[in-house]
Amino acid sequence: MADIAEEIVLDVKDIVIKFNLRGQALTAIRGTSLDVRKGETLAIVGESGSGKSVLTKSFLGMLDKNGWVDSGSVLFEGQDLAAFRDEKPWLSIRGKKISMVFQDPMTSLNPLKNVGAQIAEVYALHRGYGAKQATAAAIELLDRVGIPEAGKRHRQYPHEFSGGMRQRVVIAIAMACAPRILICDEPTTALDVTIQAQILDLIRSLQREYDFTTIYITHDLGVVANVADRVAVMYAGKIVECGSAEEVFYDPRHPYTWALLSSLPQLGIKGKPLFSIKGTPPSLFKTIEGDAFSARNPYALKIDFLREPPRFQVSPSHWAATWLLDPRAPKVEPPEIIRNLRESRQAQDAWFSGSKA
Amino acid sequence: MSDRLPEAIDPSLFEFAEFDEGAGERIGYSDYSYWKSTFKVFLKNRMALHLLIVLIALLLFTFVQPLLPGQNSPTKINIDPATSVQMRNKPPDSTFWFGTNSIGQDLWARIWSGTRTSLLIGLIVGFFEMLVGIIYGALWGYVRKLDRAMTEVYNVLNNIPTTIILLLMAYILRPGFRTMIIAMCLTGWLGLARFVRNQIVIIRDREYNLASRCLGTPTRRIIGRNLLPYLVSVIMLQTALSIPGTIGWEVFLTYIGLGLPVSIPSLGNLVNEGRLIMMSPDLRYQLIFPTIVLSIITISFYVLGNAFADASDPRNHV
Amino acid sequence: MIRYVLKRFLQSMITLFIVVSMVFLLMRLLPLEGYFGDGYDKLSAVQKTAALERMGLLDPWYSQLGHFYLKLARGDLGTSIIYRRDVPVTEVIAPRIPYSMYFGITATLMALVLGLTLGVFMARKKGKTLDRAGTAYIVLINAVPSAVYLLFIQLYGTSLFNLPILFDRYRVKSWILPAISLSLGGVAGYAMWIRRYMVDELNKDYIKLARAKGLPEKLIMIRHVMRNAFVPMAQYLPAAILSTISGSIYIESLYSIPGMGGLLVDVIQRQDNPMVQALVLIFSSVGIIGLFLGDILMAIFDPRIKLVKGEGAR
Repeated sequence: MADIAEEIVLDVKDIVIKFNLRGQALTAIRGTSLDVRKGETLAIVGESGSGKSVLTKSFLGMLDKNGWVDSGSVLFEGQDLAAFRDEKPWLSIRGKKISMVFQDPMTSLNPLKNVGAQIAEVYALHRGYGAKQATAAAIELLDRVGIPEAGKRHRQYPHEFSGGMRQRVVIAIAMACAPRILICDEPTTALDVTIQAQILDLIRSLQREYDFTTIYITHDLGVVANVADRVAVMYAGKIVECGSAEEVFYDPRHPYTWALLSSLPQLGIKGKPLFSIKGTPPSLFKTIEGDAFSARNPYALKIDFLREPPRFQVSPSHWAATWLLDPRAPKVEPPEIIRNLRESRQAQDAWFSGSKA
Repeated sequence: MSDRLPEAIDPSLFEFAEFDEGAGERIGYSDYSYWKSTFKVFLKNRMALHLLIVLIALLLFTFVQPLLPGQNSPTKINIDPATSVQMRNKPPDSTFWFGTNSIGQDLWARIWSGTRTSLLIGLIVGFFEMLVGIIYGALWGYVRKLDRAMTEVYNVLNNIPTTIILLLMAYILRPGFRTMIIAMCLTGWLGLARFVRNQIVIIRDREYNLASRCLGTPTRRIIGRNLLPYLVSVIMLQTALSIPGTIGWEVFLTYIGLGLPVSIPSLGNLVNEGRLIMMSPDLRYQLIFPTIVLSIITISFYVLGNAFADASDPRNHV
Repeated sequence: MIRYVLKRFLQSMITLFIVVSMVFLLMRLLPLEGYFGDGYDKLSAVQKTAALERMGLLDPWYSQLGHFYLKLARGDLGTSIIYRRDVPVTEVIAPRIPYSMYFGITATLMALVLGLTLGVFMARKKGKTLDRAGTAYIVLINAVPSAVYLLFIQLYGTSLFNLPILFDRYRVKSWILPAISLSLGGVAGYAMWIRRYMVDELNKDYIKLARAKGLPEKLIMIRHVMRNAFVPMAQYLPAAILSTISGSIYIESLYSIPGMGGLLVDVIQRQDNPMVQALVLIFSSVGIIGLFLGDILMAIFDPRIKLVKGEGAR
C-alpha cells in the first residue's frame, strides 16, 4: 500500500444531490465531502442505495435527467464541476479528463459497431485523429489491455467477445485519452471470480503506466482489500468513515463499518450464525433526524437520534462520524468479529516481523 | 475535520438508547399493490380520463336512446302529413335533430341504431378474438411440442391477405350480420395469439416457472396463475384496439357492397350512404354526423387501450 | 448462407402452395349463379352446362387444381373468363401494375422521409408540443378507419386547394392528392415505430457509455441512437415496397385510378376464378418474398443475427 499522497486532484465539498421522483424530492446525497488524492486508489463502499454511484456520476455530469446538484462544489483543475449548467463544459471533461467504466460489460457496448470503431471514436473526438490514425491507435490500445490478435479482432463485434474481454474493451475506451481520474463503478460484479482478478490487475498496471487516479465503487469488500489505498464508507447519502485501507479494515470506528465488515461471510465465526444487519436503509424522501444509521445500530446513543454526529479524527488520515468517538461517550469494544480481525492482523504482523529478523 | 461542539449537550444523551430491531424494518416499508398502482397511473392520464367519461356517456346513451320519449324508428320512412310526400334530405331541425336521409328516415335514430349494431359486432368479434387468441397463443408459446405445427398454421393463415378471406367469406356465405362476424373472427385472432405467444416464450423459462414445474403444478395452472397476469396489458391493448379495427373492416366491406343490408343500419352503412352524396354541401351533414360518432368511438377505444397498456406496465408505476 | 436461402425458398413455396390451393378451393364454394351475372335465368340448362364446362368448373376439384398447377409450371397464369373474356390474365394485369406501383412507391418513400423525420423529432422532444401533436396525428390515423379520413381528404383537398377530383395521367396536379393520401398511413406508422425504438435505445447502457466518452448529444443521437433504432424497421421495408403492387382499394376507387386495387374486388365479385387465383398468387408471393428479403436485410444490418433456421412466426 502506497503512502497517502498529498496533492488533491478532486475536492468535493458539502455536496447535496436531489432527485425529482414522481413529484417528490428525494435527497440522494445529503451533504458530504470527500477529497481524492493524486495517484491513489480510492474505494467507495456501501450498500445498494447508499448513493455511491450517484456521487461519482455527478463528477461526470451524468446524473439522470431528474437529478441535480442542489448545493456544494466539486473542484477539479480549478473549475467547479457542480456549477456546470449545460452539456458544453462537460464535453472537455468526459472521456478526456475523467472517465468511467460501467458495471455490465454485456450492455455497455454498442452491439452494432465493431470494438475498434468504438475506441477509435474517442481518439477522433478528443485528439482529432483521422480515421486511419484513430484505428491504429485503437488496435494498439486493444493490444495493451490484453486482447489477443488485436489487429484482426478490432473489427469484431461485442457479442463475439466474452464478458471479461468486453470489460477490457470498455476499460480501453475509458483509458484512450489518458484521463486524470478513472471511475470504476462495480467493474467486476458481473464477471466470474477468476476474471475479476485479471481485470483488477489490468487496471492496476494501467494506473502505474499512465499515472492516473482510480476511484472504485463497490459493495464487495474483497475487491477493496485487493486494490484500495484509501476507503470511504457511505451510508444513506453520506460518507460516515474514511481512512487508509489498513485503518478502515483493522481499526474501524463507525458502527456501520463494524456491521458491514461483520457481514463478510469469510469472517464468520465457526459454529455461530452469520451476521446480517437488521432492517433496511431509511427513506430518503424525508429529512433524516440525527444519525441515519441509528435505527439499525445496536450501539446507538440517545443523541444519535437527535443530532447528526460530526467527524471525529482518529488519526491524521482517518476519521469517522459517530458520537461514539466523542470524549463523553461510553467506551465501546467493537464486536467480536472485528476484534478477531484486528488480532489476526496483529498476529500476522508479529509473524512477519519475526520472520524478517 | 472534528468539530468543537459549540453548546453544551446534556450528558445523559450519551447513554445507550433502546435498540428496537423492528424499527429498522419499518422505515423501509412500502405498500405496493399492482392493481392500485395501475389504477393510479391510469387516472393521472387526463386525456384518457376525459375520453373514458365521453365514451361511457356515449355508450350509455346509445342503449338508452330508444327508451327515451319521442324517438323515431330508424327504419320508418317519414311522410309529411300535409303533403303526403316523403321527407327526404331534410337538414337538421327541431323535429329531426340530425335531419333525414335520402329516403326520409330519421338520421338521429339511424345513427344510434347503427352505433348499437357496430358496437355489438365489435364486442362479439373482440371477445372471440380474445378467447381464441389467448388460448392459441398460450398453448403455442408454452407447450413446446406444439410449437412447430402451430407456427406453420400461423404462417399460412397470416400470409393469406385478410381482404381475400373477408371477401370470399362474404360471397360464399352471403353478406349479413352473421357472415360479417364469422369472417372477422376468422382473421382477427392471429395478432393477439402472436403477441401472447411471444410473451410466454420469454417468461416460460424463468426460474419461478421452472420451480412450479418441479413441484408438479399442472400446465393449465401455470399458464393461468404464473403467466397470464403478465399478459394483461398486452391482452387489454389488443382487445381495445380490435374494436376500431373491426369497425374499419365493416366500413370496408360495406364500401365494397358486402356489408350489412340497408335494412340494418350500421356505422358502415351510414358512412357509405353519406359518401354517395358528399359532394353537395347541403347534404353533407349525412356524412358528417355518422363520421363524428364513429370517430369518437374509434379514437376513444384506441386511446383508452393504449392508456391502460401504459398504466399496467410496472415500469410506469409509482 | 446458401443453405439458408434454399431452406427459406422451400418453406415459402410450401406456404404459397397451401395458400393458393386453399383460395382455389374456396372459390369453388361460390354459388354457381354468380358466374353468370344477371343473365342467369335467361339461359337454358344446356347453355349453363356448356358455359360451366368451358370455364372448366365441372371437373372434379383435384383435376381442376392439377390443371391449374400444370399450366402454372408452364408459366401460364391463366385466361380471364368473365372479367375480360378470353384475355390472358397477364394482359389484363400488366397495364394496371405501373399505376399502383408508381403511387405506392412514391407514397412509401414520402412516408419514410416524413415519418422517420417526424418520429425522430418526437423522440428528441419527448413530451413537448411536437410530440403531442404527432401523437394526436398517429392516433387519428390509426383509430379512424382509413375509408373515412380519405373521404374527407378528397372532399376538402379538392375544394380548398383546387385540385382535381379524378385522376388523369396527363394532369400533374391530379397526382398529388392520391399520393399524399396514400402516404398518410405510412407516416403515422413509421413515426410511431421509430419514436418507440429510439426511446427504448435512449435508455440503454451503451448510450450512457457514449455520453461518458464525451460525445455531444447530437452525435449520440445520429451515430448511435438513430442508426440502432432504424435496424428493426429495416425488415419491413422490402415488404412495404413490394406490396405496393396490390394497390389501395380506396384510393384507386376514390380517384378513379386504373390500378390493381379495385381489380381484386371486381374479379371476386364476378367470380372470375382464373383472375382471382392469379391475383392471390401474386399478392401472396409478394408478401412472402417481402418478408424473406426483410430477414436478409436485417441480417446484413445486425451482426448479431445469424441466419440459421427461419426464426419463429413469420
